[in-house]
Amino acid sequence: MTRGYGNEKRNMNIKITYNWLLEYLQTDADPYEIQKYLSLCGPSIERVEKMDDDFVFDIEITSNRVDSASVFGIAQECAAILPTFGKKAILKINTLERYTFKEIHGDSARHDVELEIKILGDNLASRVSAVVLSNIEIGESPQFMKDRLAMCDTKSINNVVDISNYLMLALGQPNHTFDYDKIKDHTLSIRESKKGEKVKTLDEKVIELPGGDIVIEDGSGNLTDLAGIMGGYDSMVTSATKNVLLLLETYDPAKIRKTSMTTGQRTVAATYFEKGLDPQRIEPTLAYGVELLEKYCGGQIVSRVIDVYPKPVKPKIISVSVMNIETLIGAPIETATMREILENLGFSVTVHGGEIEVTVPSYRAADIEVWQDIAEEVARMYGYHNLKSIVQSTRSQNRNTAQENYDKYELRAKYFLKHAGLCEVYNYSMISKKMIEKFGFDPKDHLKLQNTISQNIEYMRIHLVPSLVENILQNKGKRDDLSFFEIAKTYKKRVGDLPEETRYLAIATNQSYSWLKGVLAGLFKELNIDEYSFGEVEKNDDICAFELDFEELIESARPIPSYRPINPYSVVKLDLTYTTDPKHLFENIKSKAFKVSPLLLSVDVISTFKNKVTLRFEFAAKDRNITEKEAKEELEKIKELV
Amino acid sequence: MSDIQEGTINALKKELTATSTSAQLDSLTSKYFSRKGILNDLFSKINSVPADEKQAYGKEMNTLKAQAETLIEKKRVELSKKPRKGTWVDPTLPGDTLPKGSLHFVTYAIEEITRIFERIGFSRASYPEVEWEYFSFESLNMPPGHPARDDFETFFIDEKSHSKYGRMVLTPHTSSGQIREMMRVGVPIAMINIAKTYRPNWDVSHTPMFHQFEGLCIDRGINITNLKGTIEYFMTSFFGEGRKMRLRPYHFQFTEPSFEVDVSCDICDGSGMIDSKTKCRLCKSGWLELGGAGMVHPNVLKEGGIDSEEYSGWAFGFGIERVFMMKQGLKLDDLRTVYENDVRFLEQF
Repeated sequence: MTRGYGNEKRNMNIKITYNWLLEYLQTDADPYEIQKYLSLCGPSIERVEKMDDDFVFDIEITSNRVDSASVFGIAQECAAILPTFGKKAILKINTLERYTFKEIHGDSARHDVELEIKILGDNLASRVSAVVLSNIEIGESPQFMKDRLAMCDTKSINNVVDISNYLMLALGQPNHTFDYDKIKDHTLSIRESKKGEKVKTLDEKVIELPGGDIVIEDGSGNLTDLAGIMGGYDSMVTSATKNVLLLLETYDPAKIRKTSMTTGQRTVAATYFEKGLDPQRIEPTLAYGVELLEKYCGGQIVSRVIDVYPKPVKPKIISVSVMNIETLIGAPIETATMREILENLGFSVTVHGGEIEVTVPSYRAADIEVWQDIAEEVARMYGYHNLKSIVQSTRSQNRNTAQENYDKYELRAKYFLKHAGLCEVYNYSMISKKMIEKFGFDPKDHLKLQNTISQNIEYMRIHLVPSLVENILQNKGKRDDLSFFEIAKTYKKRVGDLPEETRYLAIATNQSYSWLKGVLAGLFKELNIDEYSFGEVEKNDDICAFELDFEELIESARPIPSYRPINPYSVVKLDLTYTTDPKHLFENIKSKAFKVSPLLLSVDVISTFKNKVTLRFEFAAKDRNITEKEAKEELEKIKELV
Repeated sequence: MSDIQEGTINALKKELTATSTSAQLDSLTSKYFSRKGILNDLFSKINSVPADEKQAYGKEMNTLKAQAETLIEKKRVELSKKPRKGTWVDPTLPGDTLPKGSLHFVTYAIEEITRIFERIGFSRASYPEVEWEYFSFESLNMPPGHPARDDFETFFIDEKSHSKYGRMVLTPHTSSGQIREMMRVGVPIAMINIAKTYRPNWDVSHTPMFHQFEGLCIDRGINITNLKGTIEYFMTSFFGEGRKMRLRPYHFQFTEPSFEVDVSCDICDGSGMIDSKTKCRLCKSGWLELGGAGMVHPNVLKEGGIDSEEYSGWAFGFGIERVFMMKQGLKLDDLRTVYENDVRFLEQF
């Protein structure tokens, strides 16, 4: 169960290998040291597994740090983090600077192949780049690539497809390779889909689109790619492919996520795109991709590099006071240390007295917005493990006394019921329409979930009894005595406002009505509630059930009973047996008895047998000893009532 | 000791040995002590004793009486300890069975967590479970369009939207209580909010309803060391001494910086391995994720009407079911069991 705070479901896990990492990083840290130190200051390396001569890291990448979801990204984090633990770590090559369009776009290549790319619609894609390579020889990938992909849970297909996947893992930018000759008119248009349009993807599924999805069509209007999620079947690379189009894009993350979720196509590419990628990374990725395609597939560039990039990103600059950072972290940190930390992470820093001005690298632009974001970078590199642990002294504050009072009685009631032999249940707050109707309630009185995932949890409860009766039925036969209780909120619909959330207590049992009544009377006594009366009780299928507004009940509760002075005078006890019938209800006899007999102290039922009930009456006076004769006279008056 | 005295005591001793019930002892007592009993009879013989021996005889008789009384009393005590004949009870039989009910484990967890935080001055709060989008998202720095707000992460209610606060939702986290508490209390805040929360996942490791507890502390000068200190205090109080803790960098929209809190695994003692070959099934390399935490994002303080230049705060949110299971070293193969209410599950707690 990994579900807690906020939105971590959007996080992703990647697998990379130690040897692959060493291509970018020179370090003396072993895989386990990397695991330990990175987890403390950066991405969490959840597992390290030795495989042959290599080690596989399983790394959790938080949704704001998709820039680090690659071998290169982890190498960058290593280069910043490991030295703070006394380990050597230097980036061997900075791929982001080393690979450029200019470099692959040498003069010797022929650039005569046609290719047109259009973005039809604002904000669908922030950047699209592409290039065509010819003379591709489809075959197997080199062994090292196959091994690495296998270790990172990626199946080897052929050299072109493998390079595409390898590229994504290396630099964190998904990309797609098309069979260039299958693209009609050599034109690709990126546009929004219409509702009901269909696209056949690489996995040979035909997907009907909900509309508003990003798709790519070729010159004939054929959908050739479900953008950011999966390539199209019709234009895929096969063993017969000769010419390859390598396409890289950065899409609107919200659109990708919506399409991926609604179509159920949760591909790795989608998990990257939906987090928002840095358009600046397209250039080095494309250039590195070309290098790999040339090296391992014999490809040659035959087109110019197409680069549609309408609004290039501008560097973001944030100013922050050194003191604010120190105050938030709670530790003194030298300005020089802050500077070093930030520079190691790729930020450029200028110091103006107590202020530092930070230029954010493009791949961190989406994540770094306020000065607290800068403070976080400093804090994590300084090391949370290096900070002290100090419980703050809490100043007097506005305590929620009503809540505290409620909690106190709720717990007391729960323990009482437990000791009386009941089992506490927790049911879902939502129930089915069927259940509501079964108990004679109207679904219209209930709040309804718009996007439930099951009919069993479609309406918010306004009563607890249906759930409890269901609990008894489902446990039938497992135990002889089944007695359950629940204290939970009910949600009463209100017009134009949030529902009234009121805590109810419900009890259901397969024991007798009198048992249930006894439990409730005991509970009221425990809560020192003297005055109460019983209303109706649900009874069907040999189940007794009952519910009440628990918050209202608590209002009458008292922490200890009210004290009554002990009567020092004699008490005379007399018993009376009578035959019960609808005209002679106990409650009536009892209340009348007190009216006719001023000396009556208490009435208790001491036994019942068939329709015979034996009562015990206690008589006493407040100011003197009474005689047995006096008591018998009182009893005579009462006898007339039964 | 005279012959009379010795003879009487010996005779009494003999008779006492043969006595096994208190009724027998009663008749023996009256045989010696009643008005016409043996002792009175001996006392009355004083008249026939020569005058100069009278005093010694009287003294002797008093000693004899005292001795006899002691012996009888001793026997009485002895008999009272013995169960009566015919009502002997096997002491190894179990006692009477009291009713045995149970509380749901979430109740125990909530009780303990509340107490732990009360001791450091935190007050429990309760806020709506059916909430407006504004409190669940917007005010927590999750603007419209944020993925956590889409249909796949949150249950929406089929009711009219609020003109200001947006749609009605089942709150997916206790954090929606943050802004409510800021509005109710202002500053300073020391709140613990425990509530039901909801998300649309229902499988072996997810239930559509679960429980969270949220700590929120806002005052002047609150910093990361306070968050660390408080979580460490909670951890030691709840899990006991000897468990290690670590904060890892993380990301949440409503905190900055954000952390994930890990606790060392109890089952493998933080090693990640049960023995040299078997990996621990419960944890990830020796660590268990407790939940998320962080310093309250300035945008959130602003929404709650608190000046983020003057005040700062921390917040955390942990899952109740999760921390309870971690404490017990419990791994349910199917988490749905927790809310299925099978009596054979319930009565174990």
